[in-house]
Amino acid sequence: MNKSTNSKIKLARQIAWVAGAFALIMAVLLIANFVQTKLNNPIDNKTIPELVKRLSQSPDDDALKAEIRAFDLMARKAYFTSQWQLRTGCYLMFLGLIIFILAIRYVLSVKSKLNEIDSIEKVNGLDKLVAQKWIIYAGSGLIVLALGSGFFASNSLKDYQVNENPASLADAPTSNVVSATAGQPVAAADSTTAQSNVAVTDTSKTVTAPVAVLAGFPTKAELKANYPFFRGAEGIGVAYQKNTPTEWNGAAGQNVLWKVKIPKSGFSSPIIWGDQLFVTGADAQARMVYCYDRNTGKLLWEAAADNIEGSPAKMPKVTGDTGLAAPTMATDGRAVFAIFATGDVIALDLSGKRLWARNLGIPDNHYGHGSSLIIYKDKLLVQYDTNKSGKLLALSTQTGATVWETVRSSKISWSSPILVNTGKRMELILTTNPNVNSYDPQTGKELWNVACLSGEVGPSAGYTEGMVFAANEYAKLVGIKIGATPEVAWEADEFLPEVSSPLAVNSLLYVATTYGVLACYDAKSGEKLWSQEYGDSFYASPVYADGKVYITDMTGKTHVVRNTRDYQLIGTSELGEKAVCSPVFQNGRVYLRGMNNLYCIGK
Amino acid sequence: MNRLKKYFLLISILLFTALQSFASEAQQRFPKPEFATGYAQPNTTAPSARLMFLEYLDVMVLLVVLVLLSWLVLKKRSRKGVFWTSVFSLLYFGFYREGCICSIGAIQNIVLAVVDPTYAIPLTALLFFLLPLIFALFVGRIFCAGACPLGAIQDLVAIRPIELPKWIQKVLGLIPYLYLGLAILYVATKSEFIICRYDPFVGLFRFDAPFHMLILGLLFLIIGVFVARPYCRFFCPYGVLLGWMSKFSSKHMTITPKACIQCKLCSNSCPFGAIEEPVSETGKRRTHVNRLMTFFVLLPLWIGIGGLAGSMMHVPLSRFNKTVYLAEQIVKHPEVKNDSRNIDVRTFMSSGETTEQLVAEADRIRRQFYWGGWILGGFMGLVIGSSLIGLSTFRKRETWEPNKTHCLSCARCMDYCPVKKE
Repeated sequence: MNKSTNSKIKLARQIAWVAGAFALIMAVLLIANFVQTKLNNPIDNKTIPELVKRLSQSPDDDALKAEIRAFDLMARKAYFTSQWQLRTGCYLMFLGLIIFILAIRYVLSVKSKLNEIDSIEKVNGLDKLVAQKWIIYAGSGLIVLALGSGFFASNSLKDYQVNENPASLADAPTSNVVSATAGQPVAAADSTTAQSNVAVTDTSKTVTAPVAVLAGFPTKAELKANYPFFRGAEGIGVAYQKNTPTEWNGAAGQNVLWKVKIPKSGFSSPIIWGDQLFVTGADAQARMVYCYDRNTGKLLWEAAADNIEGSPAKMPKVTGDTGLAAPTMATDGRAVFAIFATGDVIALDLSGKRLWARNLGIPDNHYGHGSSLIIYKDKLLVQYDTNKSGKLLALSTQTGATVWETVRSSKISWSSPILVNTGKRMELILTTNPNVNSYDPQTGKELWNVACLSGEVGPSAGYTEGMVFAANEYAKLVGIKIGATPEVAWEADEFLPEVSSPLAVNSLLYVATTYGVLACYDAKSGEKLWSQEYGDSFYASPVYADGKVYITDMTGKTHVVRNTRDYQLIGTSELGEKAVCSPVFQNGRVYLRGMNNLYCIGK
Repeated sequence: MNRLKKYFLLISILLFTALQSFASEAQQRFPKPEFATGYAQPNTTAPSARLMFLEYLDVMVLLVVLVLLSWLVLKKRSRKGVFWTSVFSLLYFGFYREGCICSIGAIQNIVLAVVDPTYAIPLTALLFFLLPLIFALFVGRIFCAGACPLGAIQDLVAIRPIELPKWIQKVLGLIPYLYLGLAILYVATKSEFIICRYDPFVGLFRFDAPFHMLILGLLFLIIGVFVARPYCRFFCPYGVLLGWMSKFSSKHMTITPKACIQCKLCSNSCPFGAIEEPVSETGKRRTHVNRLMTFFVLLPLWIGIGGLAGSMMHVPLSRFNKTVYLAEQIVKHPEVKNDSRNIDVRTFMSSGETTEQLVAEADRIRRQFYWGGWILGGFMGLVIGSSLIGLSTFRKRETWEPNKTHCLSCARCMDYCPVKKE
């Protein structure tokens, strides 16, 4: 090799050394930078949170604010500087490496023009045999590995049992009331079965239910002494309370004992047990259960229906006049239960502690789920009719596990179940499109059904003296006689409710319509006795209490009518705001929920 | 190096460094400060998508590079030309385009387009997949020679290559088939793009990768100093397809421009062991034929057992799928549902989906892996059986020739051949 080539090689070698050393130095610096950042990340500076905490205690300290800003600026500078150092360091190191590699290649290519490979001895036939042998080993090894791993791998998905038990935050006891004992009498303990004698019997003894959680389930008397469900102890709109007010003015404050704003809106009616009043409210942020002291209006506690497995993050679409908290709660004096349009069902004890919660699946309901809850002994009964399917569920009040589930061949509905003793047995009666169905609340077995309705059924059934009443706008009003074979005894279609449920009491049937008419029929014959036009829509259902019928219209006016065959208006009281909820009675008081506020009316 | 080449190198280095600085837009990773003075921070805008014309420019560049390589390998027969083209490809497709889009990963796009009717494959991805294959069908694996940035970076460091024994080459040569099969399986089950995720060099191109991938990349390069192009020869799934195409190439490069004079000077020139030497049959013919027949008969057995083995792997293989993994987590450890730090579980809990639905979905995916496992295992069995058959066949050869399947057309061997073109 001549002199120029030698000098070229020398130069290339020197370049390679310099570039290599440079790249190495950059690598070391980068590692040092990395270690330093790991130990002392400028963003995780501990000083600033400490200072911020001090600032929250003395918010007007300007010097402290300036100090925080200075520290923050320093931290940001440090962060961006380290980022710049990292990036630049990488580029420089890489540049050094490239030059190093190219220099080395140049040296090698100049030194020996043709780079001979470090070769090995090759014997064609033998090499092939050896290769075949090793391929067989490798192939067999792969197969054994695959078979082994497949054999030992456990498919844990197969172990998954469809778990009925909901995600409970507390360790709830497992349900042990799944099978109904055959010989258990279904008739209620209370022997006064004749609903028509409501006005005559009953003492006005107020039973203050104990707050402590009792065992078992409430008696009929306990239910009637409180207001545990939508439209009373049986869900038929009959209240057993006495000395109910007849006159008030919500806006002026006349006879208003207290008035509170419910934090979140909802169209569920309140329920009462003892001295506690429960109501729900919901919006996209949270679904809430509120508990008020019914004597003072003080909010005792509130509980959110959150962290429920299967609960949607995005609220289902509901219309403005239904909302997310339309169904009314239910209580058995030991726990309170609520359901929301998300399909979430929550059970809380009377102090607000969650017992269990589960999601029944987001109901496919274009207005929003409306059916209220009702309880039979230890079963929470849920009417769950959606666009996809109709079903009736019984959940254990203790654990929320499904005790029984009955599929209904029905369309979607917004009505609520009633639970009545029809003489021989307890019946759970539901209205929907197309049937009125009756079920055994113990087993869920269908007892009878009568096809008589159509459309979007919102009104629930009414019941008195062995007759069930159902109605829906654009369908008809029917009186069904329950006997050996239940059948439609009479029909009428002059006044039909859209949302309000008919009230049957003392051989009289009351129907309140969306076009503002309250009509009264003879329950047995279906003969129209009177009708009164009020001019404002009725969404709330008429409720009977103490010989009077209360009906609240959408402007908030409550008309109080005597429960007689001829029309006798006792009075009309204003609430001062819009209302769709039905009145709730307890201890000589009436509780009304308006669009925003909850009122306690009484003397 | 002559002056032109020197300047070319300098300019390309400067160019790519300059371009890199544009690539790193200031991303809002640091929380926005609040100002007492009422200064309103401007809204963060997302960077706009790359211009469509630039995407097609990439395809044009690929096409130009492939045509150039064809000319350099077949007509000019210049190793230097191929080398500098590969440096250009490294800089353009590797450091400037940051290793994406690449022909190797394009396999996955093709498979996804086949299995997913909602996926519309971009034309550029299709062309990146097809162009090298089309060229390979006619002129051999010139894509590997000078267009692939992964090959180029390995080629750059192949300074002291050693020759590997045939059996190692053959055994390790099974890996690309397995990798190809797994890649297709994972795309077909819509689980993962494993070729992209486990590309060892993309982290080096981007100066950014998970720590283990950076180490893996550096390891490949260090090994690549002694074992030339380890990823290309023993891992690259696209190489399988290129090898198949190249096998039928009519205009594959030759070591000598005219007739071989059997001087044996090229015998130690290929760092990839891709040169076939003259061979004459030794030993009893009958033995060879018997062996060949045995392997033929055993082929269906390899396929069957391979398929069975593949199907049995469906449980561990499917765990790679996010849905299956999540479902298994929730079933095996239900308490994970209360873990507030587990983002996947939190996302699932608030999705409104029930565990039953998740498990059903996971089960469905697992069944896909079961059938996919049969196919993958059967394919591997076929590969192993074919490899054995291939080793048992004998083709008489009198000259030194590149093995069309394994030759990467790097043109190194041409410099060793004393026969010159007129």
